[in-house]
Amino acid sequence: MRSLMGPFGTIIEKNYITHDPQRSDVVIQENMAASKNAITNIPDYEYTDVNTNIFHIDSFRTEWLNRLQPGDFSFQSEDQDSSDALFAEEMGISADTMAELKTVCSLDSLRCHPEDQPPDPDVVPPDPTLNTLIQRKKKQDYRATLKISKNRHDLYADELERLTFGKKPETLDDMVAEGEIILNINVYYPAIFEKFCYVRPHITVLMMGSHTLAELRDAICCVSDLQVCGEFSNMPDMAPDFISKDHFKSAFFYFEGVFYNDMRYPECQDTSITTIEWAKDRNFPTYTQAKMEDTRFVDLKIKVGFPYLYCHQGDCEHLVIITDVRLTHKDDCLDKKLYPLLAHKHRVSTQKCAVCHVYIVRWVTTNDQFAPSNPCLFCDKCFRMLHFDTEGNKLGEFQAFPYVDRGAFN
Amino acid sequence: MPRERPIYSDFFYDPLTEDVEELLARFQQSDSIRYEYFSAAWRQMGFSDVFIGIVSMAEQKRFSRVTLATAVKYFLPPYSYQIRAGGLYLMFGLYNTQLAIPRVPIRLALGDWDIIQKFLKDSVNSGHQDVVYIYHKLVAAKAIHFTAMPHFLSFLKLRKRKQNNVCAEFIGRSMAVQELFSADILDEVSNIESQYEKLKENTVAVRCEASMTQRDFTARLKDCMAEFLTWQQKTFSQAEADNKGGGGDDEDDDEEEEDEEERDYKASSSRARLISSIKQKSYSNFQEAPKARRHRQPEKLKVESSSSGSEQHYGSGRKRRPPSLRARTWKSLGVTKDESRVQVWLLSAPEQKERVPVKRTNQTPPYKD
Repeated sequence: MRSLMGPFGTIIEKNYITHDPQRSDVVIQENMAASKNAITNIPDYEYTDVNTNIFHIDSFRTEWLNRLQPGDFSFQSEDQDSSDALFAEEMGISADTMAELKTVCSLDSLRCHPEDQPPDPDVVPPDPTLNTLIQRKKKQDYRATLKISKNRHDLYADELERLTFGKKPETLDDMVAEGEIILNINVYYPAIFEKFCYVRPHITVLMMGSHTLAELRDAICCVSDLQVCGEFSNMPDMAPDFISKDHFKSAFFYFEGVFYNDMRYPECQDTSITTIEWAKDRNFPTYTQAKMEDTRFVDLKIKVGFPYLYCHQGDCEHLVIITDVRLTHKDDCLDKKLYPLLAHKHRVSTQKCAVCHVYIVRWVTTNDQFAPSNPCLFCDKCFRMLHFDTEGNKLGEFQAFPYVDRGAFN
Repeated sequence: MPRERPIYSDFFYDPLTEDVEELLARFQQSDSIRYEYFSAAWRQMGFSDVFIGIVSMAEQKRFSRVTLATAVKYFLPPYSYQIRAGGLYLMFGLYNTQLAIPRVPIRLALGDWDIIQKFLKDSVNSGHQDVVYIYHKLVAAKAIHFTAMPHFLSFLKLRKRKQNNVCAEFIGRSMAVQELFSADILDEVSNIESQYEKLKENTVAVRCEASMTQRDFTARLKDCMAEFLTWQQKTFSQAEADNKGGGGDDEDDDEEEEDEEERDYKASSSRARLISSIKQKSYSNFQEAPKARRHRQPEKLKVESSSSGSEQHYGSGRKRRPPSLRARTWKSLGVTKDESRVQVWLLSAPEQKERVPVKRTNQTPPYKD
């Protein structure tokens, strides 16, 4: 192992073995931090770079607000001159020194090229000296040899964010409050395909701390909510508009030992009780229940980066990971009405009709004597032309089911 | 197979970290924490170019996030004050030169806030106005997100567990022992001790039973501290010397076991230096040779090699073949040959004994690593 390390690695290691002065300091600090966190809700790593320990979101917000000046997180942008003047006053600097400080620390000091010849931002300079640029140049040269130039996911990745950047509401009532919490929530698609175990497709939703879990539930769009059940080969026009979401409204979130059930409608059932009772019989720690619509995010105790569960339609299970919690910033979307804000959506390829290969699939048939395969997918038009005569009478034997494509809502 | 994650989606990016360390090393060499020196090093390296050459905006944003996270890393402990000031300047520079629209903000975590405030307080107290002013400018520009953690966390284990490399030179050297060594506390302790011993001598009843103290306590403490200081001096000066790639040739090791590796390393590095100097010498001579001879020389080598063995084909830029079974066996059995001596001999050979046919004294396996 030693031979793998460079000279500095050896030195550091030796340092720990023989004298250990710095290491012991660090350990003490860590211990102190750990004991402090138990009381103060300052998030810290449970597993480094993976997830944090558990903390209460509202207390976390209070901790930040206690430490900051109101100006630090206000949405007003400060005037540069007046803030400089204030700074000079606070520090007790004379006007001359301040002027000198300003010139020394101006943004011009960072300019590496003459002002009138800015470099082309899209092309790596020909003989880079920085390692980053050397690597990037290699990559760019390699890319130039490829035919496919762009990654579709990357192209649209920030589209949603761009639309809402720094958006101000029309009325002041809809303004997001200063010092509000913003959560980044990733909701992953269920791993029903093997590929999804690796790609981890998800949507990212931005929520405010004052939102309830029910609002998050409504923001999650999943095809299993949109299915229509039943066989409609005899009456394709009668395919009802009722979708699963309207029939089966129960759902729950699971965060840190608590099941949050959706109980907004009379037909909602407590679907989590099965799990709770199952766990009770098998000597698991006891789980509790709460209502989704009564729980705001600020009331939650969570771990950032830790996977939780959203379950709906009985068995459609999504992982939910809160990737970030922070205070609002003036460049965020400040219109309350636009939240929950979709920040990222995974795009899935759509299934095309087996006949025309143009339109997205609407029907799936089984035991179909006209079809090349069983089951077979059709768009609405091809399905009707193939399976019904001009009067709309069914031809031949088959079963037909409405089909909702995963990618239809890209 | 797991799909490759898009570039710059990790927390840090190695080539960038190297660049940043280079920049901070230059700043460190200036031995000052003034912003002028930093911006001079910045301009000298053309550091704002790191953002150039990214076409896709999503990639640009990810890269900006990585750069700012790297800067914040150097702004926080365990680095010395100067490096941390450099980290702050770096945050300022990178935030203002990034090409992402909208600008990616700097993420400061709640857990680090008290440390940052202490840093600022120290800066104010010691009158480093530029440090405080740069921070003030960042805050006024609303460049900071006040977050829970420094990074976005999505329960992804980093693919290769990177050991947290802390750049050793950037860490402030622990001065506590030195201060203790120079302070009068030791004298004080020995005074107290002698006083105590005297009292003990005087009380007969206690004299035989109490044996808690050690008479040579201060002397031993002093020895320990002296040992630590010499060790510290040695390792750090060693690190500096290694970094500069020259000097510090003499080996005066009095500590036996623990220095063995260092000595090994030192020996190999001095050998490498010797080789490189020889190479340079021979290459410069080679350049000076007349044109006619210059293009004849490879030919001659080729002729010789065809007679003496196969190994010299590699030198003439032929397509590389996979190593033979014999070579691989050699490799796997770990027989280390004294390659350097052979190389030295080879390099100097065409210079001095030009017409003498090359003959290998030491048969090395025919592969090149």
